[in-house]
Amino acid sequence: MFPEPSLSPGPHHLNRTGCLIKISDNTGRGVYASQFIPKNTDIDISPVLLFSKQEYENHGRHTVLDHYTFKWTEGRMALALGLGSLFNHSDPPNVTYSLDIRNDSIRYTTARNIHEGEELCIFYGHNLWFTPAKPSSQTCSEPETDDGWGGLTVVGDDQQDEIMDIPNPYADGDTEAITSEEDLPFIRLKPAPEEEDAQSIQTVQAWVVDVPDPRHITTLLKWLKQAGLDGPELGHLKRIRKHDDLTSLLLSTTADPPQPPEDLNLPAPYLLPVPTSAALTLPSLSLKSALWPTMYTPRRKDEPEPWTRGKVAWAWNAMKRTVGAATKARLENDELPIAAHIPAPYDDRTATSPLPTFIAADTRRSTRHPLRHASIIAIRQMADYRASQGLDPPPDDDAPSVDPQSDPKETRNGSNYLLTDQTFFVTHEPCIMCSMALLHSRVKEVIYLHPMSKTGGCGGSACLPMLKGVNHRFTIFQWKGTTKVTAEDIRIDPTIDV
Amino acid sequence: MDSNDHLKWMKEAMIMAEEALAAGEVPVGCVFVRDGRIIAKARNRTNELRNATRHAELEAIDCIIADETLTPEIGQQYPLSKTTLYVTVEPCIMCASALRQLGIQEVYYGCGNERFGGCGSVLGVNEELDHPVHKSYKATGGFRREDAIMILRRFYITENANAPVPRSKANRVLKTEINPPSSPH
Repeated sequence: MFPEPSLSPGPHHLNRTGCLIKISDNTGRGVYASQFIPKNTDIDISPVLLFSKQEYENHGRHTVLDHYTFKWTEGRMALALGLGSLFNHSDPPNVTYSLDIRNDSIRYTTARNIHEGEELCIFYGHNLWFTPAKPSSQTCSEPETDDGWGGLTVVGDDQQDEIMDIPNPYADGDTEAITSEEDLPFIRLKPAPEEEDAQSIQTVQAWVVDVPDPRHITTLLKWLKQAGLDGPELGHLKRIRKHDDLTSLLLSTTADPPQPPEDLNLPAPYLLPVPTSAALTLPSLSLKSALWPTMYTPRRKDEPEPWTRGKVAWAWNAMKRTVGAATKARLENDELPIAAHIPAPYDDRTATSPLPTFIAADTRRSTRHPLRHASIIAIRQMADYRASQGLDPPPDDDAPSVDPQSDPKETRNGSNYLLTDQTFFVTHEPCIMCSMALLHSRVKEVIYLHPMSKTGGCGGSACLPMLKGVNHRFTIFQWKGTTKVTAEDIRIDPTIDV
Repeated sequence: MDSNDHLKWMKEAMIMAEEALAAGEVPVGCVFVRDGRIIAKARNRTNELRNATRHAELEAIDCIIADETLTPEIGQQYPLSKTTLYVTVEPCIMCASALRQLGIQEVYYGCGNERFGGCGSVLGVNEELDHPVHKSYKATGGFRREDAIMILRRFYITENANAPVPRSKANRVLKTEINPPSSPH
């Protein structure tokens, strides 16, 4: 452990939320809370001082300013006044910030409740020009993948493109060859094994009788058959349990206890909770068998769909193009560097009129609409195209289900689905809203580059296609950190909804 | 606000659901209420727009954000922080997340949604699900619940008549037992 840095009081400073400047041995000046500050409080709105692109290129970046400036629009750089330049870096941060381009200022907001005495930190981005003074205090759920070009960020964008225009590693070779799972540029997210914890196992009360003399078992099994108690309802369980020296027999789930032949002098049957279904996984088997010996019927795993080298090369190019769109959105429009892309399906490549490609970047800033996320926009583009082509509407089976009798799924068949057979590429794991929009649209598979562990709906904060109840599943792939598609670093604040 | 007020607004939402039904859409309607008046109302348009994501809530939200008189603060992160939603059916996971991202004050709904409900039925996006920034909101069901259910059933009956192959007899029998409700008035 690192010793707690000692703090000395800093200059007196007036701030509406009572933030103080203090000086730490490790990190120098920093901003600290003098009192409890609730989540979502604006703690400072710092006006910024702007440098033109040229001015900054020629002068600013050679000075200490380069450690403090924020990227602004049109290649300009901004220096935050007020407290803005004094926030230290932390991952995860407890303060988020948003650029208010119109008012030349930056708004700093608490991301969670802040306790008195806590340091307030922002997230500087992944390309730090310094070594963090202390390791991240959180036990990081995902190790930072080193993408290998941290040092290149000092190179201008043009040069960077030239140096790092990475060729498609899957471009050569037999396009029909099946790519092994290890050689894929992404990881297939597997559904969590079902019923992993003891609480989620469903049980039913069943009558059980102890059989002190094991020789009676054969007689009892015959009796079960004659009494009609050998039906399929308990077929997922073994009939006999041997526990230490005691043998027990599973009788029935009837309301009243069955009456075994009296001449065997068995003790009275008793009720025991037993699993309601067979075990699909080994952990489940051991949990269920602790209740009563259970049959093991591993689900025939859907063989993962093979990826040919040609399709992998297609996916690689598609992801590269997605990242390109994200980068462009940031550089040219000052948007968040997020993009989504629905290419024409790989299998359509020989079709005479393949579907067009849809590609969209996040526009929440320029439209001033917090929900203009890249995924939702791409889905909408595709829907508008379909509407313009007079194609079938999407099915109504996304109608709410209020009771099983009126299950709309049963009332429709043969409809065309919006994104069926489509692979959806997106630079960052989509938020809950967008993940559900993809589910509603019946996407086949989603491939993303950067996971969003706090806000994502495809494995981060929740995993929507694996929820019980939803009526569509899609496959999720996460790009491997080691498989480069471009040199661009498009990582974003981890608290953002993508 | 007392229960009668909630029922009054929910009745307005039901009128939108009726409009959806008349247009051959899944009959879900909603109204957004701020300072004691409706600032936006909408209904499902998924069929018309060929887009399974155009739920009533998102339609209304787009109207609100497009209207500068309703979102006067430019670039405001939480434009719905003083707005209440009344919707005939529990918002789905997508809409529940959208509402949280916009800082909705509170939600009242008619009936739950076992397949997609994002306010607890399938996933508690409004409250239970942790979010690093957006605060949770309260969602309460049961306002004109029967009306909301009955209008959905009316929709399914129509749809079922058009289905090429009814899947199961049990299904069909149950459908005929359902009495259409009287129209809201």
